[in-house]
Amino acid sequence: MALENTPMSDVAPAGHGKLPGLRGRISFIDLMQSVGLLAVILLGGGIMSILSPVFATVRNIENVLQSATIIAVVAIGQTFVILVAGIDLSVASVLVLSSVLSVGLVQFQGFSPEIGVAVALLAGLGIGLVNGLAVTKLRIPALIATLATMTIGRGLAYIYSGGTNIAPVPQFFVDLQAARIFGIPAVIVLTLVLALIAQIVLSRTSFGRSVYATGGNPLAARLAGINTERVVIIAFMISGLMSAIAGLLITARFEAGAATAAQGLELAVIAAVVIGGVSLFGGEGNMGSMLLGVLLLGLVQNAVNLLNVPPNWDSVVSGLVIAAAAALDVYRRSYLEAGMRKKVIATKSSRSQKS
Amino acid sequence: MSAVEAPAAAQPAAGERREILVARGVTKSFPGVLALDNVDFDVRSGEVTALLGENGAGKSTLIKLMAGFYTPDRGEITVDGVPLHADPAAAHRIGVATIHQDAHLVPAMSVAENIMLGRWPGRYGWLSMRRQKEKARAAVARVAPHLNIATPAGRLSPADQQLVEIARAISEDSKILVMDEPTTSLSPPEIERLFRVVEDLKANGLGIVFVSHWLEEVFAISDRVTVLRDGRLVGTKPIGELDHDKVIRMMVGREVRETEHKPRPIGDVVMRVSNLTREGLLDDISFEVRAGEIVGMAGLVGAGRSETASCVFGIDPYDSGTVEIAGRRVRPNDPKAAIDAGIGLVPEDRRRQALVGLMSVRSNMTLSLFDQISRHGFLSSALEEEIAAREIRSLAVKTPSSKVRVSTLSGGNQQKVVLGRWLARRPKVLILDEPTKGIDVGAKSEISELILRLAESGMAILLISSELPEILSLSDRVLVMRSGRISAALSRAEATSETIMSYATTG
Repeated sequence: MALENTPMSDVAPAGHGKLPGLRGRISFIDLMQSVGLLAVILLGGGIMSILSPVFATVRNIENVLQSATIIAVVAIGQTFVILVAGIDLSVASVLVLSSVLSVGLVQFQGFSPEIGVAVALLAGLGIGLVNGLAVTKLRIPALIATLATMTIGRGLAYIYSGGTNIAPVPQFFVDLQAARIFGIPAVIVLTLVLALIAQIVLSRTSFGRSVYATGGNPLAARLAGINTERVVIIAFMISGLMSAIAGLLITARFEAGAATAAQGLELAVIAAVVIGGVSLFGGEGNMGSMLLGVLLLGLVQNAVNLLNVPPNWDSVVSGLVIAAAAALDVYRRSYLEAGMRKKVIATKSSRSQKS
Repeated sequence: MSAVEAPAAAQPAAGERREILVARGVTKSFPGVLALDNVDFDVRSGEVTALLGENGAGKSTLIKLMAGFYTPDRGEITVDGVPLHADPAAAHRIGVATIHQDAHLVPAMSVAENIMLGRWPGRYGWLSMRRQKEKARAAVARVAPHLNIATPAGRLSPADQQLVEIARAISEDSKILVMDEPTTSLSPPEIERLFRVVEDLKANGLGIVFVSHWLEEVFAISDRVTVLRDGRLVGTKPIGELDHDKVIRMMVGREVRETEHKPRPIGDVVMRVSNLTREGLLDDISFEVRAGEIVGMAGLVGAGRSETASCVFGIDPYDSGTVEIAGRRVRPNDPKAAIDAGIGLVPEDRRRQALVGLMSVRSNMTLSLFDQISRHGFLSSALEEEIAAREIRSLAVKTPSSKVRVSTLSGGNQQKVVLGRWLARRPKVLILDEPTKGIDVGAKSEISELILRLAESGMAILLISSELPEILSLSDRVLVMRSGRISAALSRAEATSETIMSYATTG
């Protein structure tokens, strides 16, 4: 895991001074976040393909990506919430609730599959709305508010399903899982499309700009005339909706309304988002980098499986990756601030010399 | 054991007053500011020395030096010959106790525990509750016999919390008690009680430094007055040689009216604020600002100027009163409604209240302009760049590009970014709260000129400033605030440093 640090710490300080022209266009250190992640993923992938003959097969890679899709879709929503300096612990519960509703409404109540899917998505939006209202109107800290809905949501899913998986699933889900677009599994394409839409919303709409402003400095955003409470509520609703969509994906993957699935998924999602360079303090991050974080976490899990590491070590290794990413984030931040201070002092002293 | 003996024992004669704390040639600078310049100051036992000066004169810096937060760049502060260094704990040990404006107590701990905070008696880490109570009780008996030492500090009134802090100072055997605006949150009877305690401590040989904006209080309690201005010592005089006018003249110095005032056409009333009241902060504030008019708002820190701006702009709610723009009421407690009605605000703390440091110069400039730069919710970077480039040019913002993070700019250029946002929006009224605070001299005059230009173009301007020269040179009328009220509305002819300072501190 020490590999994590090397590309950043070696390249960033040198490049910082060398490429003044680039700094105007893109934040150099932001770029390094993505490049660093990509380098680690490629390097790790290279090592893995030497260590394990299975790794570099199409089948394995597809498998890694497919299992990453569920975390990725949830993480897209979580990114909106973390960008407004919130956190959403209820995502895994929304996911299973959506999963059991999408199958159960057809199996138990005899509704059409379309209604099952629609109700599942509305449930996600609804829980997101409740989270958002609790955080903005009742001023309950997001951690506590979503801890409550996390517990309630999981409970509701158990009650509705009787605590077991619901099967068989409507044909729609079987088709979704089997579908391919240009030879690529449709769920992977769907995930990428969702991420692309999310990135466009973030970077090209006034709502996206409001998300960054609200997370970066809520007071300044409010004083600039942005309805920050509405922005936060919508962010939680997006997170609820994305988790519900991920619930449909898990239904398709497991071919069941899975009440007991996704235990602890909320933490894996938060970890992936943080590894992907989205700041837990809000206001900073993008979907591209975030997806690389999801991918890296997926690769680590795959490597642990392929290398026959005892399964119990899985979470230890994942934890180390998270710690390394978090440390990197703090390092990056302090480096940025130090650079800024130097610059301010430099301009000040040059000005005072003139006068 | 105690340097402060029982009340009956100590009766120092006037002639025995000796200098305890001596500061010689003290200079302290911060990046871009010379806070104290070669200042001499001393505190004598058995005397109350009042430390006076306008906002930013250097009082706070001197207090922090005495409390051991900083070390002087040049010069030295000694207490009974022992030099002070940047170590608050050491300052306490050699006998300087500082009472800050807001009490520094642990709310959940008892009065006794707070008095003995960090010096809990006992051995090997075990607390001796008995000795703690004894020591605390002795100290409390001196200054606040009405207090129960078992009460949690958080349940006490601000006045009582302050007395607990004084009791702590006594139990530490302090020689010097520095009180930084101790009366700000006290009622008149509480102030009276505090002054009795101060008199008692004085009689027992403590040296007391008293900082206050209220000249009545200064004359009631002080023996000597030291005045600072722009970081320099103006002088130290016995209170008997001074009166209100002399003190004010020492504080403001000679009057400078730098820029020539050109009369501008003043139009109709644009903003009318009527009977604005917020419990405990603002009391019946009424004023109006006309098109093309610059109304200055002067007063001391805490007089209610920023609070007025916050209520008018909808940041904070108010209990009663109205704000009207061009005859229409503005919905309270909603900045968006205020902006839509045509009010703009350049807030006092731009980094906290106006700018998103992580975002670019361009995005910060257009943060209130989504309606100008977007169609159906989609942003147009072309329109955005057009506005940003225009304002960067017209304001001469020094930035390598519109896309660098705003936090990399200097204070003056950051302020121009905030101003650019409002220039592009063209509000009917622009409220500027300390627009040149923390900005270097060059940018300061640029911003002053800009304010004049905006007024010439017909914008109504409310200028809140603690810098009297700025108020005097720019304003057509001056409102002076004091204790949450407008204590005077002065015409340009009536407004001088002396009249403003007088209405801000007395009456």
